[in-house]
Amino acid sequence: MRLILALLIALAYTAPALAGDLTISVRDSAGRPVRDAVVTVHPASGVPRGPIRFPWASRVVQQDVQFQPYVLIAPVGGTVVFPNLDRVRHHVYSFSRGARFELELYGRDETRTHTFSNAGVAALGCNIHDQMLAYIKVVDTPWAMKTDSTGDAVLRAVPAGAATLRVWHPRLAGRGNEVSQALAVTAAPARRTVSGDFSARAAMR
Amino acid sequence: MKLSGLVHSLLTFRNLRTRLTLLYMGLFTLALIFSAVAVVTAVTSSARHMVRDEMTSAGAVYGQLWEARSSQLRQGAGVLAQDYGFREAVATNDEPTVRSALDNLRARQGVDGALILGVDGYANSTGVAPDAAALDALFKGLNSGGLESGVLTIGGQPFQVVAAPVNAPVLIGWVVFAERLDAAQMRNLEQLSAIPLSAAVVMNPSQTSLGQPAIVETGEGPSMRLAHALPSFDPAAQAALMLTYPLDRAMKPYESLFLWLTAIGAAGLALLMGGTWVLSRGLTRPITALDEAVHRLQQGEYVEAPVTSADEIGRLAASFNAMVGDLKDREARLTHMALHDQETGLPNRLSLERQAGGHADAWVVLFGVDRFEVVRNAIGYDSMGRLLAVLGARLSALADGAPMARVGAGSLGLVIIARNKAEALEAAGHLASAAQAPINVNGAPVDIALTAGVAGHGAAGSDLTSPVDRAAIALDQARAARRTAAAFDEIAYGDPGGNLSLISELMTALAEGEVSLAYQPKYDFRAQGVTGVEALMRWTHPRRGAVSPDLFIGMAEETGHIRPLTEWAILRAIEDQKTMAAAGHVLTVSVNISGRLLSDESFADFAVNEVAASGADLCFEITETAVMDNPEMALRIIERFADAGISVSLDDYGSGLSSLTYLKRIRADELKIDKSFILGLDDSARDALLVKSTIDLAHGLGLKVTAEGVETPTALALLRGMGCDMAQGYLIGRPAPMAALLDRLAAPAEEAKSAAV
Repeated sequence: MRLILALLIALAYTAPALAGDLTISVRDSAGRPVRDAVVTVHPASGVPRGPIRFPWASRVVQQDVQFQPYVLIAPVGGTVVFPNLDRVRHHVYSFSRGARFELELYGRDETRTHTFSNAGVAALGCNIHDQMLAYIKVVDTPWAMKTDSTGDAVLRAVPAGAATLRVWHPRLAGRGNEVSQALAVTAAPARRTVSGDFSARAAMR
Repeated sequence: MKLSGLVHSLLTFRNLRTRLTLLYMGLFTLALIFSAVAVVTAVTSSARHMVRDEMTSAGAVYGQLWEARSSQLRQGAGVLAQDYGFREAVATNDEPTVRSALDNLRARQGVDGALILGVDGYANSTGVAPDAAALDALFKGLNSGGLESGVLTIGGQPFQVVAAPVNAPVLIGWVVFAERLDAAQMRNLEQLSAIPLSAAVVMNPSQTSLGQPAIVETGEGPSMRLAHALPSFDPAAQAALMLTYPLDRAMKPYESLFLWLTAIGAAGLALLMGGTWVLSRGLTRPITALDEAVHRLQQGEYVEAPVTSADEIGRLAASFNAMVGDLKDREARLTHMALHDQETGLPNRLSLERQAGGHADAWVVLFGVDRFEVVRNAIGYDSMGRLLAVLGARLSALADGAPMARVGAGSLGLVIIARNKAEALEAAGHLASAAQAPINVNGAPVDIALTAGVAGHGAAGSDLTSPVDRAAIALDQARAARRTAAAFDEIAYGDPGGNLSLISELMTALAEGEVSLAYQPKYDFRAQGVTGVEALMRWTHPRRGAVSPDLFIGMAEETGHIRPLTEWAILRAIEDQKTMAAAGHVLTVSVNISGRLLSDESFADFAVNEVAASGADLCFEITETAVMDNPEMALRIIERFADAGISVSLDDYGSGLSSLTYLKRIRADELKIDKSFILGLDDSARDALLVKSTIDLAHGLGLKVTAEGVETPTALALLRGMGCDMAQGYLIGRPAPMAALLDRLAAPAEEAKSAAV
């Protein structure tokens, strides 16, 4: 049932997107593809009102003493679930400004949730396991996608017109680990390559 | 000058002992110096090795200490950095909480300072107040260097700084602990080391070779230094732990060893010096004694060198002593031999002389055995020796034990003490008479007769310095006088030494014309005039005046000078005869020919040749005795004279041993009767008879007769009556030089008168 619903949603977005699919390709300074970079577009005309939904699960799993995925894009006001699939307990926290929360020790097959009410970045850590690290990018636009292993992210059905393109990555050098560009979106599918310095340290605000 | 003299004397020690001592000391000192150098070198090298090892290990220890402290601090910082509440406080900029947490942990960990350094470079510190430069260096080191611990200079002071990252969950900053690297901490490190080295953390050490100990010059003299590199937050400022150790201090523990070594060396040197001195004294003392003994021996002293050891020196001393003993014995033997007669063992002439020399009233008495050769030939040499020994003992006993000396083959001598010559002579006569008893030799008594000669200390200036010589002459004089004892008669002895010098002057005298011929006329009874002369040699010495012809002719005969003298006389006579003839006097000249020349053929040649050459009328007067010595040759030479027309006259007939045998054999022309018969002609009928008989005998043999010593007219008349042919004597004429002779011959009146008597 949920799967059908999801397909419907996908179809609903697919139709207009065909006209203006935007492919952003992220490369590091050596030209290598960069994955897990979050690409967002804010049309000058603004984003549609109403809650934003993304086709991927708004979920960060703790499995094998690792967060999964490394980077999760979540909409403003969205609730992210943190299921614990490990047998050990975890203590998930974030000291990030606007996304400060703490999920005190919880065990296997327990799930906690947190609702992100502000756009920004939440760096997730586990108080018990220092090596566990993940980021939740809370966005306020429906046109958001993270790059895959080829470094490409495809944004569909971006309305034509002027827009602002932003790329965020925890290692990207720039203010708030983010760079932004002006972008003129056309009906025709377009492809743009963004290059950057991905050797910076994740900034914490 | 003084120094060079000292050096010279040191190099040429006259003393064997000093030389030995100095040589040994020098060698030992050399050995000491070598061993001291070796010890010092080894000890120094070992000490340096030890210091080097100790420093290296101290450096390594400090490295570990550094790591341990770093890790301890890091742990503390890490604990804080991982504290959830602290992280939250840092992440939420809860400054008071952060400060309190830092203070809390600082106190707990006991560190000097703590700070939180954000990734934005801003710091929040307690305990220390890092300046901008320090923070800059720290941030650079942490942010880009990946350094978590190291040295950081804060306010000019080095700190050990350790950082731990604060992850929330991404890195938001570092917890930093800073601990002062002050003197106290260095002291702790110094105490860990086995050697008292000094440690300091320095920035930018000038020493380039880190980790290698090296010797550098410091305020405390040469020191070993090791710079141990430490991590530094400031890449421009190299940090290092500097360990320093003065080598003097390293050598300090060995100072007592060196002191002891020096003391032992000095003691050894002193012992060696003393030992060598003592040993060399033992060695050189016998040599010195020997040296001294040899010196004294050289001065004629018989000394014994002390034999103190059984070694070579001891044997040398013993040999020396044996040699001295031999020398002493030999000299004693020589002295004995010099002073004793070997045949009889009696003291000898030299001994007697010594004995006589000691006393002013000493008189030497020599006893001669009469007819010594006869007795000796009769009883043999050995027996004669024994006889003399017995005689000596007898005389010695008679002379109250005075030692008897054997002076000559047949003479014994002793010394008596007498106040004057008469007393000495009496004593000598008494001894000689008393000792004349027969002596038993080999059981047979031998008769002996003794004659004694006495002499005292002679007058100064006498030729005969030895009283023994004078006594020997006195003995001869006693025998000549047929007395038992006689004292030395200097006047009778004459001056043989002076006479001897005359002979050497005689030849000069011949050349100088000091010798001349005097002529004594011979009266011919039948011709009633002088028909011949006898040439007689006269010598007028420039200083002595007239020298007795008996003396110089006798000596010329004894010394072999008679031939030149006679040859000169012959030549002179030939010349003078010519002069006489020129004056109208034809005279036969007689020349006396010595018996010695009758054995000289070459003289005969000379005489015969000269006479033949000159046609002179010469007569050679010879004595009968002269012919007896070598009759064959004498008779032959006389034959030659006769053949040459030289008359031969037998001189001094009747005075010596007259032998009718020779009278018969000698081819003589004339016989001259000795004047001893003629002088007694006036008074003695016996002499007249002898003369008459001799004249008759001569005439019987066909000889003319000349009488010598005619001094009275009576004698002349008697001789004429006896039929004598010629007369010669003072009555006829004394010997005179030729000029006087010629004058006399020119006045025949007087002679005619004499002849008439």
